[in-house]
Amino acid sequence: MSAPAPLQALSEMQRLTSPFAESVAVKEWKASGRKVIGWINPYVPEEIIYAAGMLPFQISGDNEPVQMQGAEAYMHSNTCSYIRTAWQMKLDGKYGFLDGLVSSSFCDQDKRLYSVWEYYDSLTYMDELYAPRRRDEPGVALYQGDLVDFHDRLSKFGLRWIPDRDLANAIAIYNKGRELMARLYELRKREHPPVTGAEALEVSKAAGRLPREQFNQLMEQLLDEIETSGREIRKSKRLMVIGNDMHNTTMISELETLDALVVVDEMNCGIRYAWGQVDTDLPPMEALARYYVLGRPVDMHTWNSDGRLEFIADMAEQYKVDGIISEIVRYCTYNGWDKYDLKNQMAERGVPILDIDLEYGHPAGAQAQIRVEAFMEMLDSGAPTPVSG
Amino acid sequence: MTTISEQSLANMATAEEIEARLRVAIEQIKVAPGLMRSATSYMELIHTYIERVVTAKDQGKFVVAHGTQQPMEIFEAMGVVSIFNEFWGVISDAVKIESVPEAMAVSASIGTPTEVCSFFRSMDGLLHAGKWPQTDAFLYATSSCDNVKAFHTLGRRYNIPDYGLERPLRPWTPQAMAHWADEHRRLIVFLEELTGTKLDYDRLKEVVQLSYRLTQLTLEIEELIALTPSPMSSECFASTLVSVRLLPGTQLAIDFLEGVKAELEERVANGVAAAEPERFRIMWTAFTPFWDPTLLAFIQKNYGAVSVCEVLSGWRGEAEWLIDPDDPIASLAYRSQLAPGNCQYAPSMDWASQLVAQARKFKADGAIFNNNMGCKQGAGLGPLVRDELLRQTGVPTVTLNVDVLDHTFVSRSEIVNQLDSFFEMIEASDAYRERRSS
Repeated sequence: MSAPAPLQALSEMQRLTSPFAESVAVKEWKASGRKVIGWINPYVPEEIIYAAGMLPFQISGDNEPVQMQGAEAYMHSNTCSYIRTAWQMKLDGKYGFLDGLVSSSFCDQDKRLYSVWEYYDSLTYMDELYAPRRRDEPGVALYQGDLVDFHDRLSKFGLRWIPDRDLANAIAIYNKGRELMARLYELRKREHPPVTGAEALEVSKAAGRLPREQFNQLMEQLLDEIETSGREIRKSKRLMVIGNDMHNTTMISELETLDALVVVDEMNCGIRYAWGQVDTDLPPMEALARYYVLGRPVDMHTWNSDGRLEFIADMAEQYKVDGIISEIVRYCTYNGWDKYDLKNQMAERGVPILDIDLEYGHPAGAQAQIRVEAFMEMLDSGAPTPVSG
Repeated sequence: MTTISEQSLANMATAEEIEARLRVAIEQIKVAPGLMRSATSYMELIHTYIERVVTAKDQGKFVVAHGTQQPMEIFEAMGVVSIFNEFWGVISDAVKIESVPEAMAVSASIGTPTEVCSFFRSMDGLLHAGKWPQTDAFLYATSSCDNVKAFHTLGRRYNIPDYGLERPLRPWTPQAMAHWADEHRRLIVFLEELTGTKLDYDRLKEVVQLSYRLTQLTLEIEELIALTPSPMSSECFASTLVSVRLLPGTQLAIDFLEGVKAELEERVANGVAAAEPERFRIMWTAFTPFWDPTLLAFIQKNYGAVSVCEVLSGWRGEAEWLIDPDDPIASLAYRSQLAPGNCQYAPSMDWASQLVAQARKFKADGAIFNNNMGCKQGAGLGPLVRDELLRQTGVPTVTLNVDVLDHTFVSRSEIVNQLDSFFEMIEASDAYRERRSS
């Protein structure tokens, strides 16, 4: 069966976000005299940055593997390859357009990347928040305090107090984007989804790299295009990808060269990025604090990951997944400690799971490809998954 | 369920076995020539700590296993016995070297990745093998690292309740300090529910006072260690670390450190140095070689390299954390910001700044950074700390790629090769010669 025609709106998203990282969209933004603030990990509220009149830009790699030897002079090689990739790209001059950087201290390595950046080549604006590890009211209060301070410091940097009305406006724009992305996720529940996992990941990436209003317009077009085209992707197996954030789309498209389609993920840059809405009935800071701490599905950095395991199982069921690919970036502490229980819980639910340890941004390679093929054969045969122990 | 062989089970030490081996070690140390006399009391202190764990359940006490940077004074005040999970790996290595690698092999066999911290892998394996002491709760905090998630994960697996304290990243704002003090109060509520007894706040005040005295003693001892030549020999180097991390708030720890201090003063008065000659003064900028318990003595004897300081036992500034004797909670919360090892949770420059201060105070010649394979904190800041230390003080660093607990990860000869070159380099350097001639 021939591949469906490319989606024009997606092609436009990709054009605007190329070349990575200093893309067409970034250049246009900078040319208008406005600032770009990089953010590491998804507890940095982009709404505040956007309300300040600045472009929030997710720090990540992209579809080309990055050779990290330079970065290893600044961080030992037993750090996660996501932060080494980010730093290597900085060393290679790919992030020269940034005016500032904000970290959410999501993990130890996020913190250390921030420290390295601040020490060796500090940007004009550097800031650090704390992403609570507990999902409770004290955590919300702690985080909200951080947001208030962040708002004040960013206002000072921008030489303009960020008023509540601008925050409310930014929240509305970002809520719209989440709503549109969530609609795309819903479409992937269909028996024959209209987009591949690779295409869906490209959409998620664009959301973190484009001005949100521009992204929202393109998303509206994308959803219209999907409905108009009657697009369907027909593969026999439905897969879920879980684990660390992935920005190298070729890794997903390699999976999909087999008779399989990635219909859902549980990545922070994927489904959680599209999840829920910031409550517009609350004062903006409180609303943002509640959303970022409590409003999205439990993720791996939360100490009590019971909710994460439940969420994965729930999504696997909702999306009628045949198997799960758990891709864990080497040296990820959080995912490492969930591995054992995750495997057992999915086995108890009868959902096969394949663990693949990876270097961030690098294609899986022949060894992993063989394992994936064997996994697919196992799915075809319907063999039960052994419980670890 | 993974089947564990009889030999594998036998290789892993229980609390009772550790206690028994420590008793033997004490007798051996008493008759070993050339050691500081405090070496015996040092081992006795550790033995007492282990004995408390061994006898806890027979005495009807509650036992909590905890991570680093915990307000142990609260446990002490409530009569709760504590097991510091990191120390458990360290003492296992010291008395039964095959125990930790065996426990970690068991951990790997059940699917825990080998790239997470060995302190926790060892605990994971011991729990799975039924060799971990009976524990009523797991307690931990955001500091120092992401691996504390393992406490909840393992708690879920073995039905052990847990509580984690959320520590603000920017600790100096009034809001952050209030939050952190409230976290301590929430911990107390958790412990009161666990034990069914209320915390006696008068008792807590007493314990906090004792803990503060312990802090003062460690600073007084540091002044002696900082002398040239240093009187502190390797067998007692961890005295302050062990006292503060295992038994804060106890008269036992105070008595021990007062003995250490008296002996150091005597050695200074009599011109007794740790090494004759003292060729190098070494600082440990990540942790001391837990995986190889005799390495400190080895470098002291073979290179005249005396360990003078390490980041995990360094207090910040004057460590005046007893801000209000009548408000022990506020004092304990403040203590965290100044406590040894706190910089692990802070931005990398905090860690580096502390080391710069230590390098100057203790007149270090060289720094050894043990890059623990399972430690993302250290791996992410090692080069920065190295660069800042060199920039500010001229002190060079050698990085050893090791596993914090597993002696099989790297051989002694490989370490010695690296240290050979390092010491040679230091000795040939202009900075070293200048220091030695002044």
